[in-house]
Amino acid sequence: MKDFWHVINTLPQEQWPPLYSAIQSLILGGVIVGALLSAAGYLVLLERKVLAWMQHRVGPNRCGPFGLLQPLADVLKLLTKEDSLPPFVDKWLFIAAPAIIMLTAILSLAVVPFGQPQWLVVKDLNVGILFFLALSSLGVYSIVLAGWSSNSKYAALGGLRATAQMISYELSMSMSLLAAVMLAGSLSLNKIVEAQSSLWFVILQPLGFVIFVISVIAESRRAPFDLPEAENEIVAGFHTEYSSMKFALFFLGEYVAVVLLSFVISTIYLGGYHGLFDIPYIPAAIEGPIWLLAKVGFFIFFFIWIRATYPRFRYDHLMELGWKYMIPLSVLNLIATAVLIILFPTLGGHK
Amino acid sequence: MIPAYHALILSGILFCIGIVGVIARRNLLFVLMSIEIMMNAAGLAFVAGSAIHGSYDGQIFFIFILPVAAAEVAIGLALALLLYQKYKTLDLWVIARSKEE
Amino acid sequence: MMQILMFYPSAVIAVITTLMVIFSKNPVYAVLYLIMSLFAVSMVFWSLGSPFLAMVEIIIYAGAIMVLFLFVVMMLNLGQRRVDEDLRPPSGKALILPGIFATILLVQTIACLMAGHPQGGTQLLNDPVALGHAMYEKHYLGVKLAAIILLIGSIGGMHLGRAASFPDTKEKDLL
Repeated sequence: MKDFWHVINTLPQEQWPPLYSAIQSLILGGVIVGALLSAAGYLVLLERKVLAWMQHRVGPNRCGPFGLLQPLADVLKLLTKEDSLPPFVDKWLFIAAPAIIMLTAILSLAVVPFGQPQWLVVKDLNVGILFFLALSSLGVYSIVLAGWSSNSKYAALGGLRATAQMISYELSMSMSLLAAVMLAGSLSLNKIVEAQSSLWFVILQPLGFVIFVISVIAESRRAPFDLPEAENEIVAGFHTEYSSMKFALFFLGEYVAVVLLSFVISTIYLGGYHGLFDIPYIPAAIEGPIWLLAKVGFFIFFFIWIRATYPRFRYDHLMELGWKYMIPLSVLNLIATAVLIILFPTLGGHK
Repeated sequence: MIPAYHALILSGILFCIGIVGVIARRNLLFVLMSIEIMMNAAGLAFVAGSAIHGSYDGQIFFIFILPVAAAEVAIGLALALLLYQKYKTLDLWVIARSKEE
Repeated sequence: MMQILMFYPSAVIAVITTLMVIFSKNPVYAVLYLIMSLFAVSMVFWSLGSPFLAMVEIIIYAGAIMVLFLFVVMMLNLGQRRVDEDLRPPSGKALILPGIFATILLVQTIACLMAGHPQGGTQLLNDPVALGHAMYEKHYLGVKLAAIILLIGSIGGMHLGRAASFPDTKEKDLL
């Protein structure tokens, strides 16, 4: 035990013995998954409360004090509802689709560093950003397969819309990430956070930050980009045929994705676990997670705020925004960053 | 340690499966998919070669295969859509035998 | 050890799923099997010491190219309870000739590999930074050629797509 603590505190992650590595990954991963899933339930409540507050309503307040038990009631309702499997669906894909979205959203958190000591990241891959991009590009299959396997027109339309939207915004998303990678000189999220110890990338990359945030909202299919499930056009889009717990997985998957994307935004552009000042009386190992969670909390609020503020896009406007503005701007951002690094070589990752 | 030629044999097997697909399938979409399998197998051979020779050149050539595959799919699928509009089928036997007007 | 544990199962899965692609009846299932095969090949890349290429394989092949296939299958609405003549998996006579060709090729490949140089093991080259340096310092011409290919591909795709979506324009005579 003492040896375990010593090893994971001093040696770099790739030199840990496989057993220690597995133990650390299992414990930290378990904590993260548990926290994430229970947080997602409360995120639903938070969203309803914040939306209500912004619209001068009261919001859910019947279950427990301030409606704090509402998530429990929701879960009970969803679990006891009839889990119907329509006769015309493609059974296996219909069941697999909601699982894929949860899986891709949760797995991405494995590469996010939570704090200074290296046992606070599940696995510090040297291709961490690519891991995140790969999983987010796989998330689209969940929607497409849900749309196709439902064997219904509205679901198919939602699936087609989601495919086109997610492919388009993935480009600008990865292109703006690339500029941050150039500044840090590494694909590992840990190295990117370390590169921001003195100056956060949001200051060096204001355009890239804005592009990334917009693309990320489009990627998570939330308002104002929720075309795949626009209820006044195509009923409920890709999850028209889903009910009970399978619907709940889609629903929770969206919130898990919001949490994950907030983590990624704060890690890449807002300095991750680096704080603005030292919090007194708190050990350094806990200070990092506190700062990170504060930033994540702000972005979750920001996502809800956007949803309450903007009306839904029209579909051709959405495509136009993606291809005619976001992608050229992200290329411009990339070139500008390259010029900046050549002019001021101290900014670049490899000196 | 993996014996070097095992990866190359895997690439050969995948390539041969791709060849069977290209020749034996009648639907254009499946033929395009088989071409993807063959390209991927070629890429695997490059990566295996890179691991054998201890140089990054093979990996770089795999990266160069990717845009070729992407461009091929973009154009191939656009052609498939056009063919479907014209003949209402993607059956290559039907398309090949239909007379040009 | 870890390498071997990753390599052989992935190789077996790659071969099986690729066979399923060729012999499946439903285009959507074929695309999904192909994605699984690409995943397996990506794990093979990882075991050969290239996590960068493993991720690139998933992002570009599984995340972009296969989505295009799925998109087209959904647009043409193939595979929804329709068993067309052309979607039937190949069997019997149709497999004889390609089977012979493929077997000859495979036997030759394996014979050459057994007789030829590549003895010994594989080396791990897993540094994406070194890969980037090698790519832009030694092969910058290749990077430019790849960019031109992508440009040609996108122009061609747009041109053909215009013809497909506006059948009244002059591009209707393309085919």
